[in-house]
Amino acid sequence: MSVEPFNRLVKLAARAFYDDITTKGDNQPKTGRSDNRGIAVVVLDALTRRQWVREEDLAKDLKLHSKQLRRTLRFFEEEKLVTRDHRKETAKGAKVYSAAVAATGDGLHTGRDGDDKIKLHTHSYCCLDYSQIYDVVRYRLHRMKKKLKDELENKNTVQEYVCPNCGKRYNALDALRLVSPEDEYFHCESCNGELVAESDKLATQENGDGDDNARRRRRDKLKDMLQKMEEQLKPLMDQLGRVKDLAVPEFGSLQAWEVRANAAARAANGDSGSTDPSKSSQGLGFGGTPMPFVGETKVEVAFSGIEEKGEAIKLESGNSPMKILPPWLIKQGMNLTKEQRGEVKQEAKMEGTSSTVDVSDEKKLTGEKDDVKNLQDEYVKAYYAALLVKQRDQEEAAKREQELSNRNISDSVYDTSSERQVGMKSKREDVDEGVDDVEWEEATPAGNTGESSKVHDLNVQADALEDDEDDIDWEEG
Amino acid sequence: MFFHIVLERNMQLHPRHFGRDLRDKLVAKLMKDVEGTCSGRHGFVVAITGIESVGKGLIRDGTGFVTFPVKYQCVVFRPFKGEISEAVVTMVNKMGFFAEAGPVQIFVSNHLIPDDMEFQSGDIPNYTTSDGSVKIQKDSEVRLKIIGTRVDATEIFCIGTIKDDFLGVISDPGATS
Ligand SMILES: [Zn+2]
Repeated sequence: MSVEPFNRLVKLAARAFYDDITTKGDNQPKTGRSDNRGIAVVVLDALTRRQWVREEDLAKDLKLHSKQLRRTLRFFEEEKLVTRDHRKETAKGAKVYSAAVAATGDGLHTGRDGDDKIKLHTHSYCCLDYSQIYDVVRYRLHRMKKKLKDELENKNTVQEYVCPNCGKRYNALDALRLVSPEDEYFHCESCNGELVAESDKLATQENGDGDDNARRRRRDKLKDMLQKMEEQLKPLMDQLGRVKDLAVPEFGSLQAWEVRANAAARAANGDSGSTDPSKSSQGLGFGGTPMPFVGETKVEVAFSGIEEKGEAIKLESGNSPMKILPPWLIKQGMNLTKEQRGEVKQEAKMEGTSSTVDVSDEKKLTGEKDDVKNLQDEYVKAYYAALLVKQRDQEEAAKREQELSNRNISDSVYDTSSERQVGMKSKREDVDEGVDDVEWEEATPAGNTGESSKVHDLNVQADALEDDEDDIDWEEG
Repeated sequence: MFFHIVLERNMQLHPRHFGRDLRDKLVAKLMKDVEGTCSGRHGFVVAITGIESVGKGLIRDGTGFVTFPVKYQCVVFRPFKGEISEAVVTMVNKMGFFAEAGPVQIFVSNHLIPDDMEFQSGDIPNYTTSDGSVKIQKDSEVRLKIIGTRVDATEIFCIGTIKDDFLGVISDPGATS
């Protein structure tokens, strides 16, 4: 389930359509201070970084008044971008929550929730509805285009007719009265003159009266608008095209999602060896509903145990390089980009992610899996250590190689390209480290060290040929 | 669009009908009076489907006629702007063509016929595409979109378009004949 392209879609749509949306009560005065344009975009962006989220928590994160946020969310609910769920936090849910708080030993919270008289409050949750967003955005674009085009082609206008003799005007709704039995034209009721359709008349009088000019100006304006729309919304349309064949991320209803998220959180926390509910509730602020983030971020909670806010920031920083990824990378399944993101954070995230996903599926096996995970962690450590050593070796080899190829250059009289080929050949044949090099590169995509390998390549003075190979590797991956 | 609604009407009945089958006479008269009429508000009354209630009759002074308030269920047909409707072409001329959807007359002017259809005069005037594959003539069945209605107290007239996706001829009598 790759959320990233869909998030990009949401962000683009937010900026295209909801940039200047103000959500305020009608009775409020429109002063400069209460101008809250842009909030809509901020809220949507924030939602792309979350799944189901309690609206109070979201308000707190965004430093918004919950009323204001609710108004915005209600607007988005009407716009069909967001699904919301309201429910009374049951006594049971509160109990689970207070148990969790007690386990954490957090005095601050226990003081408040310790007493049994917990009021039933209605809490609202919200979540982006990606599949619906996709449809809504497409429909909106379609309607925009159709409206402009219809106007342009005068599609839904009522045809008007004029009598050239007496100037009496009729329109198509009078048609029944105007037909004559003799011929196939409409005739004037008063003078029986043959009526002329208005648009024909205008077409013949090219530079006619002001009315005509106004009509033409309007036409030009419409055309202009249509063109501008095509231009300015192109990124959005491109993104729609990109997303078209991808599986839509589904979070399901709040209940279903909660069950899943809890399982995942438990699995993740089991890894770090502490009691799960405490961990989840601590990381997630307050409330019995944890808000784990998408995919790999979930793992991050387990690994570092940092707070939600820092995590959000980290996620953002993790996301930002995604935006500038070249399209050919985005296009082929998001596996790749995920890998890349994991890579940026240079931890054993990949391994972690895959195993957590497994665990969340079958939570009974947590204990076993933990062992497996520890094993994996250790393996990863060892692997990286080995890699490091190898890398160092290779740097040395590279130096040697460079010298070698330099010698080749001085020896040869070929032009640069062929000289390089010779250089490489000699590398492969003569220097046994060359063979090593090839092997190492094959391990690259799996080993998750693409970047370092690239840097290393540069050291080795990887020539055009080898770079090409690299590209192919990526595309196939 | 069709609606099943309840309407009310005051029926005047001649004293000669007062007898065992007064009610039957009343209903028969109601059907005769109402079915096929058009009111601007409700559209065309297609059929009466049932009698809700017949109120107490009031004898008119002088005439002896009795007025019964009758509530009845009926199916009405009311065209709306933007509605898609199927209609039979009744007349084709240079200005466009007329079609009927049940009791409703619809006019489609020539600028709301696709640009690739040309008017052909002759014995059977028609609109035909340049390759002759699609032809609109009398008795053709077309699907059209109503873009305007004129609702009078007793009459509804519509104008339509076939210049949009999935509109146009749905069966062509010329193709078989
Ligand atoms: Zn006239």
